[in-house]
Order: sequence, then C-alpha cells, then structure tokens
Amino acid sequence: MNHPTQWEAVIGLEIHAELNTKSKLFSSAPNRFGDEPNTNINDVCTGQPGALPVLNKEAVRKAVQFGCAINAQIAKFSKFDRKSYFYPDSPRNFQITQFDEPIVLGGSVVAEVDGQEKVFAVNRVHLEDDAGMLKHFPTFAGVDYNRAGVPLIEIVSEPCIHSAREAAAYGMAIKAILQYIDASDCNMEEGSLRIDANVSVRVKGEKGLRNKIEIKNMNSFSNMELAIDAEIKRQIHEYTNHASRPQHEIISQATYRWDPEKKETVLMRRKEQADDYRYFPEPDLVPIILTDAYIEGIRSSLPELPLQRERRYVSELALPAHSAFAITLDKKIADYFEEALKLCSNARALCNWILVEFAGRLKDTGKTLIDSGIPASHLAKLVAMIDKGTITGRIAKDVADDMMAAPGKDPEQIVAANPDYQPVHDQGEIEVLVDKVLAENMQSVVDFKAGRDKAFAFLVGQVMKLSRGKASPQIVNDLLNQKISSL
Amino acid sequence: MHSLSAIEIRDKFLRGEISAVTIVETFLKRIEKYDHEVGAFLAVFNERAIQQAKKLDEKRKAGHKLGKLAGVPIAIKDNIHVKGELSTCASKFLTNYRAPFDATVTRLLEAEDAIIIGKTNLDEFAMGSSTENSALQKTRNPWNLKCTPGGSSGGSAAAVAARFCPLAFGSDTGGSVRLPASFCGIVGYKPTYGRVSRYGLVAFGSSLDQIGPFATTTADAALLMEVVGRHCEHDSTSLDAPQEDYLSSFNGDIKGMRIGVPWQFLEQLAEEPKQVFSAALEKLKSLGAEIVDVDLSILKYSIAVYYILATAEASTNLARFDGIRYGQRSARAKTLDEVYDFSKEEGYGPEVKRRILLGTYVLSAGYKDSYYKKAQQVRTLTIQQFKGIFQKCDLVALPTSPFTAFEIGAIKDPLQLYLEDIYTIAANLAGLPAVSIPEGFSRDGKPLGMQLIGPQKQDVRVLKAANAFEKVTDYHKALPELAK
Amino acid sequence: MSNLDKEAIHNLIKLSRIECSEEEQARLLKDLEKILVYIEQLQEVDTANVSPCNQVLEGACNVMREDEVRDIMPRELFLSNAPSQVGGMIRVPPVIKSN
Repeated sequence: MNHPTQWEAVIGLEIHAELNTKSKLFSSAPNRFGDEPNTNINDVCTGQPGALPVLNKEAVRKAVQFGCAINAQIAKFSKFDRKSYFYPDSPRNFQITQFDEPIVLGGSVVAEVDGQEKVFAVNRVHLEDDAGMLKHFPTFAGVDYNRAGVPLIEIVSEPCIHSAREAAAYGMAIKAILQYIDASDCNMEEGSLRIDANVSVRVKGEKGLRNKIEIKNMNSFSNMELAIDAEIKRQIHEYTNHASRPQHEIISQATYRWDPEKKETVLMRRKEQADDYRYFPEPDLVPIILTDAYIEGIRSSLPELPLQRERRYVSELALPAHSAFAITLDKKIADYFEEALKLCSNARALCNWILVEFAGRLKDTGKTLIDSGIPASHLAKLVAMIDKGTITGRIAKDVADDMMAAPGKDPEQIVAANPDYQPVHDQGEIEVLVDKVLAENMQSVVDFKAGRDKAFAFLVGQVMKLSRGKASPQIVNDLLNQKISSL
Repeated sequence: MHSLSAIEIRDKFLRGEISAVTIVETFLKRIEKYDHEVGAFLAVFNERAIQQAKKLDEKRKAGHKLGKLAGVPIAIKDNIHVKGELSTCASKFLTNYRAPFDATVTRLLEAEDAIIIGKTNLDEFAMGSSTENSALQKTRNPWNLKCTPGGSSGGSAAAVAARFCPLAFGSDTGGSVRLPASFCGIVGYKPTYGRVSRYGLVAFGSSLDQIGPFATTTADAALLMEVVGRHCEHDSTSLDAPQEDYLSSFNGDIKGMRIGVPWQFLEQLAEEPKQVFSAALEKLKSLGAEIVDVDLSILKYSIAVYYILATAEASTNLARFDGIRYGQRSARAKTLDEVYDFSKEEGYGPEVKRRILLGTYVLSAGYKDSYYKKAQQVRTLTIQQFKGIFQKCDLVALPTSPFTAFEIGAIKDPLQLYLEDIYTIAANLAGLPAVSIPEGFSRDGKPLGMQLIGPQKQDVRVLKAANAFEKVTDYHKALPELAK
Repeated sequence: MSNLDKEAIHNLIKLSRIECSEEEQARLLKDLEKILVYIEQLQEVDTANVSPCNQVLEGACNVMREDEVRDIMPRELFLSNAPSQVGGMIRVPPVIKSN
C-alpha cells in the first residue's frame, strides 16, 4: 500500500464515576474517601462467607438521573451479573456488574470543541461495585477495602471521538453533568472520576476498526489529552514504518498507562486473548423493574443541566456562547458567577474576570476561585468599581493582585487604603498629560486623522502610562478627541 | 429425657419441672459418652451452652417472658455462622475462621431462647451426599455405625438421630437435609426457596440453597419453621411474605388431598424401597388422600442440570477463599500468585476441586451456551412441569432416596454419588418446599424416608400432610441402640 | 462431545487458581470427562423458545434498601481472621503494578 497521508483516530472513552451516596452499592458500610484503612467496611464488602448483597436504592436513582440527563433510554428491566477475576483488591474475586442488561442505553452529550458544538453519542451506562485499593511498598503490598463496594456508574461512549481535544471536551461535559446532578464528587485526583481511553487509528475512509490500545492512569484532562495525542502519533508512526507487515501485527491489543514524567504511554500488559470473565446472572440479587412513573418522576425533577444553563446565560445575560460554555463547565464556578451577579449585573465583565484575569493568577497555585478565599461578593465589588469609574481597568488589575495576596480583603477597602489607586479626575492634571503626549506623538495624530483608529488607542495608552494608570479613561478620551479635532 | 421431643422438653422447662442447666448437662453428657463413636460434632459449646442455660434459668425465675424454644438445645451445621465461633465448613481452608457475625437463623433461634449446643460435621463446603467429604472427621450413622449418615448435613442428622439434641439445622442445596434425614430415620425439611434467610450460610449454590430443620417429629420441625421462616432484609432473595402458623393447622385431616406419584420415574427403584414406599402411600390413602399418577419425566435430567448450575454458582461463591483476607494462607507461598494457587491447593479437598473446575468449565467462553444456558432452560422446563402437575394434585410423593444408608467408603465413583440425589434435586431446582419423613425400615434395620413436595409457598400444606402421616405411624418413635 | 483434554484442564486450573499436581490433574481429567458425558444428555431436551430461569421466585424484583450507613465491621474484628496484616491493611506479597 502506498503511504497514505490522511489518518483518522478512533477513540472510545470508558468513564467510571463513583456515586456520592452515603453507603455503598450492595453493602451498608460508609462510602467515604480518605479515612484510615479498613474502617469503612462490613461483612458484605470484605467478601466474608455468608454475606449477601442488598442494592442501594439511591444508587439506582442517581444512575437513572444521569441517564435522563443525557437523554438516554432508561431500561425498564435490568439485572446484575457476576464478573470473575482474581485480584487482592476484589473481596469476592468477582465483581457484581451489569453485563448484557444495563440500566441505561444510548444517550448523547453536547460539548464545545474549538468553538464548535459537537454531539457525542453514549453507548450505555451501567451500575457496578468498585474494588478496594492496593498500596504498594518495596517488599509487600497492603490492601484497604474502604473503597471496595462503592457504587460506580460506568459510562461507555460510542467510538465517535476523533481527537484528543474531542476526548477532553467529551470528558469534561460528562463530568459537568455528573456535577450538576450531584451524582459524584468527580475528583480525578482522588479517583472518584476515572477515565480509560481506547485508541486506534485508520486511514480516512477505511471501513472497520483496527486494533485498539487501552490507556489507563490518566489523572487529569490535560494529561489525558497529552496521552491520547502521544498514542495516536505512536500508532501512526508504527503503521507508517512497518507498512509492509499485516496491520493486526503492527499494533496488537494491549493496555498502556500514561507516565506523566516521561510524557509517554508505557506498555502495561499485552492482551493476547480476551479475558474470560465468565459472566452469568447474579443469583443473590433480583432484577430492577422500573415504571414509566418512576422514570418520569426523575426526569421531570432534574436540576438545571450544564447545557441548559449555558443557553440561559446566552439568552438572558447576552454572554457570548464560548464564555457561557466555559463558565458553566464547572458548577461551582458557575454558582460563584451567579453569586457575584446578584451584586453586579455586568455579566460579561464578571465572566472575563473569572475565566481570564483570576484564572490566570490562580494557575500556578493549584487552587481555583472557589478555594482561593476570595468571595464572590468581592469580585462583584471589583467589577462594580470599574463600571462606576471608581477605578480604572488598569488599576483594577493591581487591586486584583492585592486580593490574591490577601484573600478575603475587601477590594473597596484595598482601594480606599491605597492613594495610588485613586483615579485622577482632575481635568487640569490630565490635560497637562494629554498635551505632552500629543506634542511627542504628532505622527500618531496624523495617522489617526488619516483613518487609523489604532493610533488613537495608542495615544490613550500613552496618557494612561504617564498617569500610571490613574487617569479616568473617560476624561482622557474626551480630552484627546477635543484636542485632536482642533489640531 | 433425651428421647423427648423439643416441644415436650420446652414445656417441661416452662412448667419448672426441669432446669435449663439440667437439660443441657444431660445432652452434653450424652455427647461426651457417645459422640466419639458417631462423630456428629466438630465443636461442642460446653461452656457457652451452660452459661446460656444458667441465664435462662434466672430469666424464668425472675418471671420474664420466655421464647418459643426456651431451654431447647439445638445443633447447627458448621457452614452456618454463630458469631465468634468457628465456621469451618469442614474444610482445611477454614479451620481458623471465626464467624464475624451471626446468621439470621442463629439470631432468631437465640431470640427465642434456644440453646446452641454445638456445630456439626458436613461434607466440605456442603458438597457431597454422605459427609465422607469432610476434611476434618468421619460421621457415622447412629443406626449402623459402619454406614454414612448421608450428606451433606450428616452431622446434624446424626446428632438428632442419636438424641444428642432434639433439634438441628442443616442446609439443603440438592437434598442435603432430606437425604440424611431419610438415612437417619428423622424428619428433615427444605423450605420454599427464600422462606428462610440465607444470610450467614456459607453459600454453595445460591439459587438452590435453603437452611432447613432436622427434628424427631413434624411438630418440632414446624415449630422451628415458625421461628426462622421470616423475611430477612439482609437477603435479597428472601421471600417477602408474612410469617406462617404451622402448628395450628396440624389437625391430621388430609381427606381429599390429591397426592401425585411419578410412577414412571420410579420404575428403576429396587423392590424393597418400592414396597415400603407403596405401603406408606396406602397409609396416606387410609387417611382419605387420593393417589394420582403424574408425569414428571423431566426429572431424569435433574442431576445434569444441578451439576451444571450448582457448580457454576459454587465456582464463583468459593472464589473468595484465597488465603488473602481470612482462612489458611499457604505457608510456602512467596509470591501473590502462589498465595492463590497454593492456598487453594492445600485448602480444598478433591470433591471441592472437582466441582470448582466443572463450574468454571460450564461458564467458560465457548461452552457457556451449551452448558450453563441449556441447564437454565431445562430448569425452566422443570418449573413448568411441576406447575402443570400441581394443577392435578396438591402434593407430590416419592421416596427420598433410591436406597438406604450405604457403608462408609463403599461408593468411590463421584458420579455414582451424584446419582443418589435423583429424587431430591428437583425440589431445589424449582424452589419447592419438600419434607422427608420416616416411612419404614429395610430388612437390615436401616431407615427409609418418604418425600412430600408442594408448590412454592405451600410450606404449611407439606408439613400438615407429613404430620397427618406421622400421627398414624410409629416409625418416628423408633430409636437407634445408642439412644435407647 | 466434550473438548476436555490436558490443555483444557490446565486452562481451567489457571482460571480457577487452584494448583494441582500432575497426577491430580490426570485424575480430575478422568472424573470430569465422565461427568461431562453424563451431562451431555441435556442436549436431547428441546429448549427452543424456552427462556433461561434466572430466578426461582417468579416476579421477584426491586429489592432495595435505603441509602443509610448501618452495619460497620470494626477493623480489629476484620483483621482478627487475617493471615497477615500491616498498618491496618491486609498484607500480601508485593504486586507488580498493573490493573
């Protein structure tokens, strides 16, 4: 085959989300993270002989809720199955999952990718119980069953994702939905949200799918993007360099994990044969049969979902679609934004300060606005001050830096306490500066009169610089216009 | 006193004629004297039982309300949990495993002031029909010490037959209560599936297992059913139905009851058991019951279905025994793989290994449809055939076993042992209530049992008919030598 | 006809994680073959259009419990049956990082 230049990646994501119920899926032990090992356990989730599973009704409700939120079909009949495999973190050496009759089928999710809205199809969602945790030490390993039995929903996408960027967008959209319906803590570092990717490539237009590689251990969306990109490149590289060999030999099914230090995918194990999990219906449990009334009850009482909120921001607040999308991605941020909106109606400005100004300042601290210590009311006050003209936009940036340095300090007080922040409204003072700038920049005046608007902005900037940002922009504008027109 | 029924003992205690301590001491003495010959018990709760008896005597003295089983000693099969005591399941794997919680039945029994006197021997993990598969000790039939007591609940059956206690509990997956009851000449009952909680029973075949009582009279068995036959919130397969009253329906009247007998299926039965069974049917007729011929041809496939489904479930139920969280971990294991492989190698006996491998096989890729799925389908047909039969009759009667207790070591071929369950398995497949009651003796003095099987949830009907038969026979009154 | 042979037994042993000596494997092979031949008779039953029995109690469904924390097993009780423990955890030989 001649070397084709148009490759296409085919990606499917399997997302496991821990449901934030009080107790576990089949065991009434507590569902909590971070406690001392083996303190949130009982006979069921430690696989004691004689123990029996009993289903948690809240886990069912949350699974159905999620299904409704992605407009999927809720199965009226679903059941559980045993999936057999041996591993120390499995208390029974079989997981209770849903194999062929899951609780949710189909569904779709809308996400924004590079400014465009895309619809991604979901294949199915099912309930299953989580395994415990294995902690590795040099000469032994320790097993902690606190997490064993925690309810999971596994969300399986169709293989309809074609780039790492799309994968991240899809993943973030799923996470947002889970967050908005309060089904999960969605914490990738703590493991309450885990994503595995199945990646293969093919020539554009090729029918059928080539062998796929599974990638695990991606503990953030940015790492996931890097990992998937790296893997796509690796596969293309392999196919290209061994073009004479049969396809299925070049890339054979295997599992890789993402190494964040080496910044590459590393082989974990080959999958020569499919694992034989010997699925069969769980005899200790009875099926779930849901009525239309129950399903409708859940669907009609869904809280506002990310997409709905985004649309609302566009129509009610006139936010540009991209900003609306970005600010609704994390419910806590969106709630923060609405909190600030109560005190200041400049939605666009608030949005910009949240998504750009403060986000930039917080980037390396590992924190978000939510845990920064800066309350929404302070953000609102900052923007209000700019709008009132109390401070200039330029000064506001300094005030923001001060707010970051002393979180919780009221910006109005910061401004009041710092004479450098007091804007200059004195026409006379500003006029002096304007005259100086005009005198030193006659070319710009000529350019502006010739139709170059940018030249005006330059002149404004020069005045602001001279005034160390304190001159009232309105007055500068008016004076410049006045003086230039008489030149 | 030891040959009295549980109800008689309880009533004597309640009337103040005898103290709980005396009752317990009497039975403990019998156990000490004779159990080295029988081998029914794996553990005897000498101290615990006396302590409980003392407390009970005080309770009665103080005039407190006393339970339905007050003062009655009861033995429990060693695959049913009594918190803090060993649950070995007669396996080398669990010789050091202490139950971290009480089985529901244990809790219910103690709430009614029963006194648990010890844990009894069984086939390892309840897999077997003779108790010979116990990895810990042999149990002998009190009627003939050279013979097996049947299995897998052989220890419990032998304990009651030898009058080491008037009551015991076993578990029945394919006949493991009824068969030993038949071999030991006592009453053994398997309730409707789900009637008694499985919480605290070490699972073998989850969709087949039921805990069931052994007693010397049907009234005693019924009393136990009144205590333990309840809905349990720890068991998702527990029947959500109100508790039933058995004893009040025991008026001996079964006039007009239609009893179906699958004569065609019994063609292969030997002369002697056939005669004894026919005589028992005549007794039922004399009570006004009508004997009807029914077609249960599907029953010939019971064993094949059972050995696919039970082993499939068991292979996963037993997977948890890996030496990691509990049980014996192999001392020679150095790596994680060896922990699994060697612990299981050393912990399991040959029958358990056989069944786990078979169960793994019938579920494995490529074979699941032809084995597991097929068996599930034939199970459906079994349920359907019974449903059809029960349109024409109220109960089905057949012998519990094709033969009497055989000599220990006489049957070495595993498949032949499996074939012993031919009459009992179907009731487990269809979840039906089934009792085995003494119907006579063979010429060489060994007991024979008759089974009565009812539709699902007709536990009262089954025990009532058994009681009516018992009222007009004496077989249940016979005692083996060491109980005389 | 069963497809059981030495290799199949070997695979089953791997799947079930039970170590077995050569002789034991040979014995198991014989026993299992016999049983499988007996089980073969199920194939003669006509099961076209018969649904598999996944539950014995017809109509049983929706058994669920409230989302409440109830029985907690104290750690000492859990570990009292453990063959080996360390730092409140079950101790096992070191594991190669996979899964």
